[in-house]
Amino acid sequence: MKSTWKRVVFFALLAGIWELLFLLRIWPEYVLPSPFSVYKTMIHGFKDQTFLIGIMISMKRIAIGYGIATIVGVFLGLLIGRIRIFEETLGSLISGLQTLPTICWLPLALLWFGLNDKTIIFLVAMGAVLSITVATDAGIKSVPPLYIRAAKTMGARGWGLYLEVILPAALPHIITGMKQGWSFAWRSLMAGELLIVCLGLGHLMMIGRELNDMSQVIAVMIIIVLIGILVDRLFFIKVEKHIRERWGLVKI
Amino acid sequence: MSETVEIENLIDLNYVNFRTEVQTSTKLCVQGLSKSFQTKNGSVCVLDDVNLEVKEGEFVCIVGPSGCGKTTLLNIIAGLERADSGELRVNGRKVNGAGTDRVVIFQEAALFPWLNVIKNVEFGLKQKGVNSKERRDIALEYLKMVHLTKFQHAHVHELSGGMKQRVAIARALAMNPEMLLMDEPFSALDAQTRWILHFELQNIWLKTKKTIFFITHNIREAVCLADRIIILSTSPGRIKKEFIVDLPRPRDDNDVNVAEYSTRIMKELKAEINKVVACEMDTDSCVECDIKCTTEVPSKTDIGGGI
Ligand SMILES: Nc1ncnc2c1ncn2[C@@H]1O[C@H](COP(=O)(O)OP(=O)(O)OP(=O)(O)O)[C@@H](O)[C@H]1O
Ligand SMILES: [Mg+2]
Repeated sequence: MKSTWKRVVFFALLAGIWELLFLLRIWPEYVLPSPFSVYKTMIHGFKDQTFLIGIMISMKRIAIGYGIATIVGVFLGLLIGRIRIFEETLGSLISGLQTLPTICWLPLALLWFGLNDKTIIFLVAMGAVLSITVATDAGIKSVPPLYIRAAKTMGARGWGLYLEVILPAALPHIITGMKQGWSFAWRSLMAGELLIVCLGLGHLMMIGRELNDMSQVIAVMIIIVLIGILVDRLFFIKVEKHIRERWGLVKI
Repeated sequence: MSETVEIENLIDLNYVNFRTEVQTSTKLCVQGLSKSFQTKNGSVCVLDDVNLEVKEGEFVCIVGPSGCGKTTLLNIIAGLERADSGELRVNGRKVNGAGTDRVVIFQEAALFPWLNVIKNVEFGLKQKGVNSKERRDIALEYLKMVHLTKFQHAHVHELSGGMKQRVAIARALAMNPEMLLMDEPFSALDAQTRWILHFELQNIWLKTKKTIFFITHNIREAVCLADRIIILSTSPGRIKKEFIVDLPRPRDDNDVNVAEYSTRIMKELKAEINKVVACEMDTDSCVECDIKCTTEVPSKTDIGGGI
């Protein structure tokens, strides 16, 4: 409760300073809009649905891209974690690719898919997939062999063993990787949307820039931050809490 | 749930003398089993020509010092590890690999933390393809047998060490295996809990008539539980001696007869224990011993550092 209040006071203060700077007229309005005009733009944007549509389009892209990344990432992580030959080959490729900023895939994606949704989805997936792969691999390597032996003596074989023992045992790691992957995916999405003109939140920001409408740019930035926080709170923090309780891990 | 309450209803049970059971057919037959591990210093012979037989419904304890290859032997019987040579028969059939007819209970309970207690017990049944309602019923039945019905929805980390082992026992029994293979299941528990579990295990054994193959390095525990004690020597592991324990059940760790019996076994092994202790104390001679063990047929048939 106390920390909530501190936060409220802090943000109120921040808005106050902002408004003060605006009132001093050091910069013209298209450089620094007032917080009220940002607020007005926000309300207006939601009223005429442009923001909602932008959010929907962006969320759809990230859902598809991130979904693909999760499936592919977990699968690749399984391969690398369990099969020696993949570890030695694919594993080194993955750790090499990790050093490559996601946006470097853009030229290649443009050639493959053209200027459209697919390119952005590809960027999103590339942003998340490596973190998820690496985390899954680490998770699988840290599964206590005892669990696998116990499961084997109880008749777990093949897919059953993977789905009911190895993956659940690696889940805490996988979730950590998914969380990191999510933030990378979100960044790649914005990068892609800023560079490729086809709706979405990034595109709304670019429109703001073109119209010299700084308040729209800032409004969209705030939306992006809020969505990031929301997903973290609604999904990852809940899942992590659930896992901590289940496994009896100490609170960090 | 207080554990003393459970003890009372255990003692109330009407026990029969185990010898009245007719023990006929051979459940497990191990012949000429050998196993070595490759290490940096060459190959280490862990088990050498082990032969043993376990009868249907028999409770056999394997006793031996730490590192003598007990776990290796059990893993081979469980099918979790491969022997270099030798044969393994269950019910006269040759076996290869793990099977649900031989379920292992490990030193650490090896319960799955992502499942609650009852789902853990159901795990093996689910692998067998038993439908969910039947699964639940069977799991509850065995949880009741280990007096943990109240904890069916608990998370694994909320259980004490003794409770975890009891869940592991329920989980193994729920599979309705031919044999239970137990690898020092109680060695990480305090004396009080172990004492309780010795009662429970005897009780369960009398009720279910399962064949139990139980590893321990504690002679007292072996005397308390077993029909027959097999002593394994160290480096390489060989069957050293066998003792039949013919005491009425339920036996109590602290019972005079059990204590006396343990002392008697101890005494018989004393000379060899001393040999090993001397070897373990002196680093140089121990290295020597290791080298001897790894290369030539050992002159020593050691027993009992851990007992
Ligand atoms: N995978 C392995 N690779 C190499 N050596 C091994 C391996 N597993 C076991 N050993 C060796 O085999 C010997 C027997 O090990 P094992 O675990 O069977 O002993 P144990 O009798 O169960 O001992 P404890 O009472 O301490 O559990 C030990 O000396 C150990 O070092
Ligand atoms: Mg062992």
